[in-house]
Amino acid sequence: MADAALDGGKKSDAFVISRAKLRRQRIAKFLGEGFLLAIASFVAIIVLFIFYFVAVDAIPFFQQRGFAEFFTSTSWYPADEPGEFGALAIIFGSAMVTIGSALIAVPLGISAAICLSDVLPFSVRQYAKPVIEMLAAIPSVAYGFFALVILAPLLQNHGGPILMWAWWLIAGPFVLLLVVVAGDLLASAVGGESESDVLRNVFTAVLGVVAVLFLYWVGKTLFAIQILTGTNALNVSLILSFMALPTIVSVSEDSLQAVGRELREGSYALGATRAETIVKTVLPAASSGIIAAVILGIMRALGETMVVWMASGNSSHIPDPWFNYLDSIRTLTATIAGDMGEADQVTGSARYHVLFAMGLLLLCFSFVGNFISERIVVRQRKILAGE
Amino acid sequence: MNIGTRKILDRSFTAVGLTSILLMALALLVVVVPIVSGGIGAIFFKGTIEHRKLQLREFDNGNREVLDRQIAESEPYRQEVFRMLDAFAAELETFEPTRKREYSSKVSSVKDIVSHLLGPVPGEPEPILLRFQYGTTRWEKAEESLHDLMFVTKWDTSNPEEMGKQYFVPRVDEFAGTSLAALFPYIEENLEKMLLPEQTFYWGFLTERSLDAHIFGGVWAEIQGTLFLAIGAMLFAFPMGVIAAIYFTEYARENVFTSILRSANSTLAGVPSIVFGLFGLAFFINTIKVSDSKSVLAGSLTLAIMILPTIIRAAEEAILSVPKTYKEASIGLGSTKWRTIVTVILPAALPGIITGGIISLGRAAGETAPIIFTAAVSVGATIGLGDVLTSPTPALSWNIYNLASEHEAANEIRHVQYGMVLALISIVLLLNLSAILLRARISKKLKG
Repeated sequence: MADAALDGGKKSDAFVISRAKLRRQRIAKFLGEGFLLAIASFVAIIVLFIFYFVAVDAIPFFQQRGFAEFFTSTSWYPADEPGEFGALAIIFGSAMVTIGSALIAVPLGISAAICLSDVLPFSVRQYAKPVIEMLAAIPSVAYGFFALVILAPLLQNHGGPILMWAWWLIAGPFVLLLVVVAGDLLASAVGGESESDVLRNVFTAVLGVVAVLFLYWVGKTLFAIQILTGTNALNVSLILSFMALPTIVSVSEDSLQAVGRELREGSYALGATRAETIVKTVLPAASSGIIAAVILGIMRALGETMVVWMASGNSSHIPDPWFNYLDSIRTLTATIAGDMGEADQVTGSARYHVLFAMGLLLLCFSFVGNFISERIVVRQRKILAGE
Repeated sequence: MNIGTRKILDRSFTAVGLTSILLMALALLVVVVPIVSGGIGAIFFKGTIEHRKLQLREFDNGNREVLDRQIAESEPYRQEVFRMLDAFAAELETFEPTRKREYSSKVSSVKDIVSHLLGPVPGEPEPILLRFQYGTTRWEKAEESLHDLMFVTKWDTSNPEEMGKQYFVPRVDEFAGTSLAALFPYIEENLEKMLLPEQTFYWGFLTERSLDAHIFGGVWAEIQGTLFLAIGAMLFAFPMGVIAAIYFTEYARENVFTSILRSANSTLAGVPSIVFGLFGLAFFINTIKVSDSKSVLAGSLTLAIMILPTIIRAAEEAILSVPKTYKEASIGLGSTKWRTIVTVILPAALPGIITGGIISLGRAAGETAPIIFTAAVSVGATIGLGDVLTSPTPALSWNIYNLASEHEAANEIRHVQYGMVLALISIVLLLNLSAILLRARISKKLKG
């Protein structure tokens, strides 16, 4: 009993726990844990604060101008009196570069992740990882500088040849591969069970000629294109895809690793090749994690500021035709960064608050994207653990 | 499907994977190599005598006697140029009015280029802006100016279907038959003797202040500002992140509250960087007023909340990777939980935690968007350590943007921009490289 110990307090109390000491310990423990908890919940408080303070400055804009103009009009003249605040073209620009970068980064990122997790031996992987980390570590302003000073003049002066070579190098191998596969499938469809090599070769040769003509024709068309300005959506999409790649690669690689050996070995045992194993077994099992990776990568591209500010041309209009990636565009992030300098002096005006409205829009997108990807990852982990 | 086709498919699948890895490596090279080679040009270049004059007068660097001798050496050639210009000015007076007007505008552009090359023409009033007080300091720029002097750039817009084509006309043709025609071959031949280029190792680019809005001088103010901001952010974020990680790994129970905290962490990690800037402006500056306007403090705080999630995650991972036996042994010896954490777990996890910290430091140094509204100014001197609470600072990341996109002479000072990008990339990549090496050592150690 603690009371007894208290009575015998004359003895050395090193081994005896007095009530007071016990209380002190408890209080210390309580305070200590409370302190840790307070620090840990600080992150949640910051998130709430960010939403609150961005929203508080965004709401006056919608009160003054309503929702309709912001989301449906394309005339963006915030400096005029009275100003016009149609952000549709800007939202469209953001969507355009995000989709453009995803089109480049997603196939590239997923195949790189597959290569890292299933193809490369461990010793090579160790050298590939730092490359990806370096790509992620380069500051966005350095990418922006590269896009503006090196890539943009190159696109402007040699746009046609660059597009043509990119087409040949990227589409060429794929189209030829398609020819081989299609020839094989056609031959087995026509010849039935008795697969004859002659038939297959004939089909492949015919398709090959068609494919080369097609490649040549598109290449020639691309060669003739003159890019009027190097600071355009294509330039930005390309650079943003570099920046989204590391996220996509590392998150999808994690989820590919999580699939485990058993599934792969089962597939190999049934006689599947490595490609078939990955495409038909591993990818479906890892699909949700890969979707999460793609969402995170897209969020990175959507939220990026410096590259688009420096190299997108900053012209607020919807390109004509709307999928023309060789035109200048303007994005939400670049508008916030670029207009705040002038809007800052007129705190309280619609011109100032509209930038917070854009910030709120970005914040909501990133929140939803993050939430979805996190749910997906948690679910995948549960499913894989359950099996 | 035919076995052969399946094999081809399998091989090409592997090839696609390898190609994508190679493409990423190539992308890294394509971005980094031109920046490194351009950036080295800011420090290691062929400097003219004007560069040495500037260094001696503005920064007191270099050898006065050698410079005086070189000035004496180059002066006769320069005097000859100025004499020709004077002679032509006298000749101009004898021309009839229409011809005189035509030639005087032509000669004034010649004079502009000459003073750009050699510094102010004697007899003209001393220019106020520093950029006009010296000639061209870099030899490759001098060669460009020489080309401008020798040729007039014209545009062929005869074909309205195509973009205009550039072509050059020798400038000497414009002055055919006058005394100035002799000037052009003379300058072309003797430019090297007038400017005396020599290989220069301009270490001061990293340690000296800038002059006349980065037309001359170095980038120390920006480097210092970047260091202040990044280190300031670490001072706030590092202790906080480590404490939060201790809570998450050692104390948090698996309940709804903890999972909310964890989602908050990943939400914060996903917030676009420009929104951090908006928040920093709205909260730190406009609401709680940590400073009257932009300041290093406000910028550091904004950067700190941006890198906090990264630090928490890295620290959590490091703490979780400490073998359980360490903890059990310590508890078994009778120490309390807190004592175990402080004396056993944290020291073992420290290298991992520091790795995460270093990577976050690099991220804080490289970010631009959060500091645009909270800390960065485009022109400014170095600030003292005492001013960090109240005054804004130039920073590498912001000034790269500013010099490349908004500077009035952006094309003239590409070498400064390259130098800044190289300085920033070196800081960030060196930090990352040391983190990678540190991590490799840790994993070796854990393997035993």
